[in-house]
Amino acid sequence: MKVSIDAIDYYLPPKTEDGSILKEDNPDWCIEDIEKKTGIQVRHISAPDQTATDMAVLAAEKLFSTGVQRQEIDFLVLVTQSPDYALPSSACMLQDRLDLSKSCVAFDINLGCSGFVYGLFVGGSIIEAGLAQKGLVICSDTYAKYIGKSDRTCRPLFSDGASAVLLSSCIHNDLGPFEMGTDGSGFCDLIVPSSGARVSWAESKEGHLFMDGAKVFMFTMDMVPKCVTALLDKSGKTIGDIDMFFFHQASKFVIDNIIRQLELPKEKVYVNYQRVGNTVSASIPIALKDAVSEGRLKNGDQIMLIGFGVGYSWGASFVQWGVRP
Amino acid sequence: MKESDVINVIQNALELDGECITMDSSADDVEEWDSVGHVAILSALDKVFNKKVAGIREMATADTVRKMLTLLKDYSLI
Repeated sequence: MKVSIDAIDYYLPPKTEDGSILKEDNPDWCIEDIEKKTGIQVRHISAPDQTATDMAVLAAEKLFSTGVQRQEIDFLVLVTQSPDYALPSSACMLQDRLDLSKSCVAFDINLGCSGFVYGLFVGGSIIEAGLAQKGLVICSDTYAKYIGKSDRTCRPLFSDGASAVLLSSCIHNDLGPFEMGTDGSGFCDLIVPSSGARVSWAESKEGHLFMDGAKVFMFTMDMVPKCVTALLDKSGKTIGDIDMFFFHQASKFVIDNIIRQLELPKEKVYVNYQRVGNTVSASIPIALKDAVSEGRLKNGDQIMLIGFGVGYSWGASFVQWGVRP
Repeated sequence: MKESDVINVIQNALELDGECITMDSSADDVEEWDSVGHVAILSALDKVFNKKVAGIREMATADTVRKMLTLLKDYSLI
């Protein structure tokens, strides 16, 4: 049994923030310098009472409005690091809110920027094993809620958003192979301290996201080129065989450095961080949908997806593109 | 590459004019050397050393010019 990406849609909160708002809150910031480095001009911010699950519902309902039959969904994988509750799993709540079948398997994957590739890996494996015909991989996060107004490292980057992807069994399209990895020694370099059981919530006021930008950058520069090269080697392909690369939309600075490291032709690397921001695990599927809408991604294209970040965690996969526009 | 060339690379990465970066400069006393500036330095060094700095993870915590030079020497890049 083979797997195809049959449909993609996404939801971005209507509220946006640009440089003028950052400047208003932080008069000492040089916004031009920040935008030059991040490349990000607009970020989407969820409403105060809007959670990742709320956004996931809106993204998935867009899929259902195109004719996807909710009762045919055999599994739901929700990739999120901003669940509504520590427990229960947000995917269980989502099963009910989306009115999916009670025979639907639903669970969360707690991963960030590598999460979409892991969602494909898990969802694709379920279908390949013949255990299901159709499933949803939903990525949704509200990182902006974790970030303080004066956090110059994180605030100019992260954006809220959700994506929904339908995976189906098929006979033609191919997903994979995959190249995945983990280096948990970097767990504390991108973290929301005191957000779990390690330190009691009651004892802590540290609910904000912390990122050691230099360490995360060095991880990225070290591991992402190795991951891409390993996947190419594994499949006997070269950079020339790939029509388009879809990296996690971390920032201009990060993607430009990956392009330099791998000596990639710039026109083969899709970017939309300028108007979307870094939406964590949703960034790759949002980029895919935008690339289709812009006519940059066509049926039959051989593409590579590469997610990397918090954990540290990374994953890459090939997709023979066949999604309906 | 000489030590003075590395100092120039650091100064350019921080977009500073004049010769304000010295062997004794550190993130603590150069305003532009914040987290964003540090990443700019790492990228600039990786470029001039032909992608060999990306594998030196300790560079992420080298917060003085002297520490960076020491690491570059340890890895036989200067």
